[in-house]
Amino acid sequence: MRISKTLYLFFIPGFLLYFIFFIYPTASALFYSFTDWDGLSENFRYVGFENYERAFTGDSVFAKVFVNNLQFMFTVVVLQTLVALAFAILLVKNTKTNVFFRALYFFPTILSSVSVAFIWAFIYDPTFGILNSFLESAGLGAYTLGWLGDASIAIYCLAITQVWFHAGQMLIIFVAGLQSIPEDLYEVARIEGASKWQTFKSVTWPLLAPSATIVVAYTTIQSFKAFDLVFAMTGGGPNNATEIIATYIYEVAFRSYEFGYASAISVLFMIIIGIITYLQFKALRSDRVSY
Amino acid sequence: MSKKWVLAAGLLGMPLFAAGCAGDDEAEVAGEEAVDLSFMHWRGEDQEVFEELIAQFEEEHPDINVEQNVYPSDQYMATAQRMLQEGTAGDVFASFPGAQFEALNEAGFFADLSDEEFVSNFDEGAIEVGQADGSQLALPYQLVFNMPVYNKAIFEELGLEVPQSWEEFIAMGETLKENGIIPIAFPGADIGPNQFMNSMVMNNAPDGAFEDLLAGEASLTDDWWVKTLEQFQYLQENGFFQENALGTNQDAAMALVASGEAAMLATGSYHMASLLELNPDLELDLLAPITVPEDEARYEGIHTATFMLAANSNSEDQEAAKEFISFLSQPEVASTYANETGQHLTVKGVEYESEALQNTAYWIDERETRFQPRYMITNAQVEDAVLSSIESVLGGAAPEEAAAEAQQVVEEVTE
Repeated sequence: MRISKTLYLFFIPGFLLYFIFFIYPTASALFYSFTDWDGLSENFRYVGFENYERAFTGDSVFAKVFVNNLQFMFTVVVLQTLVALAFAILLVKNTKTNVFFRALYFFPTILSSVSVAFIWAFIYDPTFGILNSFLESAGLGAYTLGWLGDASIAIYCLAITQVWFHAGQMLIIFVAGLQSIPEDLYEVARIEGASKWQTFKSVTWPLLAPSATIVVAYTTIQSFKAFDLVFAMTGGGPNNATEIIATYIYEVAFRSYEFGYASAISVLFMIIIGIITYLQFKALRSDRVSY
Repeated sequence: MSKKWVLAAGLLGMPLFAAGCAGDDEAEVAGEEAVDLSFMHWRGEDQEVFEELIAQFEEEHPDINVEQNVYPSDQYMATAQRMLQEGTAGDVFASFPGAQFEALNEAGFFADLSDEEFVSNFDEGAIEVGQADGSQLALPYQLVFNMPVYNKAIFEELGLEVPQSWEEFIAMGETLKENGIIPIAFPGADIGPNQFMNSMVMNNAPDGAFEDLLAGEASLTDDWWVKTLEQFQYLQENGFFQENALGTNQDAAMALVASGEAAMLATGSYHMASLLELNPDLELDLLAPITVPEDEARYEGIHTATFMLAANSNSEDQEAAKEFISFLSQPEVASTYANETGQHLTVKGVEYESEALQNTAYWIDERETRFQPRYMITNAQVEDAVLSSIESVLGGAAPEEAAAEAQQVVEEVTE
């Protein structure tokens, strides 16, 4: 079949948008990562791999930020996947109650990040916050904490907020995945005398692998890019304990005026996300089966 | 590349251009010769007052329209530079002193105001911070005291005097604690460390200490900074701050002072109006901790000349921009702004009407204050390292270790 040349013209608008909003900025970031551009001046100098060298060997804050981001990512991926999966299993049937609860759990997803940050900053507030007030009224005053002000737990507090914010979205993906599993397979498992755990392990999970792949990959990327929540709730503090790569790039670019170095970190950031996503896809693909 | 951009923009913008053609004709006729000025700043809370002043300005200058572009202060750095670069906003703009002023100056965004008559409307000493290479590039409008605000009634009730030394400061805190009052409400989650450090360091650090730090001639492991961190540690460990101070934001800290649970708010004079809104019965003044013996104290407080007004050197309407700055620098206009926003200003001849401003105006002429040391740190990463060492100590780290860790970052950045 021959495709008329005029049909190619229909690709142009899409290509232009992709070029302007993705290819060009990415190529620019790559270019500037080899310069000392401050983001303001017209002049800059080519510095070779100096910015990359600095990220690996001459910036102790970046090392800390990278570790923070990994902690945040693992906590969010594990918690969000487990919570979303557990609720999806409970709410998989299309009863009126289940549909209501699905909508209820999905609700945080439609809120703006700033609203979520405001709500949770109030919950965590050590003086007037709901969490400490609840602990005190329950006779657990000894367990009240500074939450976001405590460097050892602040990143996990943010991770919990992120899970609350996005678990509903993942729940819907899991519900769709669960509903696509043929009922016959569960019937066979029942006839064979499989326990609930065996049914989950041998039927549900393998057939849910495509949904799980999407959930885990999406959650990973999302948790690496959780700029808005972190920026609005802690600004990266205390003592950089909640600084993640995305907020650090902002700091370096817009507060320190080191666009060249910020671009180098952005390129590294892109590579890191690419590698982690590839590894996840590979690992989760091996779990996939078809009956 | 620029040709491709033009082509792409042209293709995408063609339908909009076609749809907008008729409207363009009308606008040209109606607004002939009119200049549209963009005034970019971060003071959302002053937007209403500025609207009032802009209306007055437009009445006096019918050929100039002024529109405010307000961005929150935490996003202002990023937004301002982008807007100024694109030329989409900011014919007149406000700049922070310190790192932002330096960066914008290096990029050449400031029009030289040195020869403008209205410069003489400002207090000479206060506007030095807006100078570079002998030129007046920006004019600080507000005069802020970045030192704790205290509840005078509590002090009077307990028979407390304003402390003149570290020993007296500690004794004052102990008395407050004995009476069930938190000495200092410290908003450690946001602005606490970057504000309170100024008065904590003012008598500990030699003049020029942070400039020397950036030049590699001083270190955060030097006595002056380690001593400051030790004093922070003392205040934290001895209950001078509220519990979980690092998790408390400024709104919560203000609520503690407004309700009388805490005696001091570790922020600055700019919060006095908000505190009075929360509790109009409060009697407020300013008090900085003196961290040395009385005879060694050189400064009594901290001041900052900020909200630096500037004309964009890339603006096509520079004359109109300067006209607007000139208007804001008139004493009557500045008085309206000062009284409606509860701010002290750098403009000469301002008449302060509110009781709170009158009561604290003596800090301008009668007290020895030091320009905010934090703004002498013109590298944001060094500033972060300095502040992180405070947070680290408040989080339980030893002062020497926190100082050494911060110094490592300083060396990485300045090398």
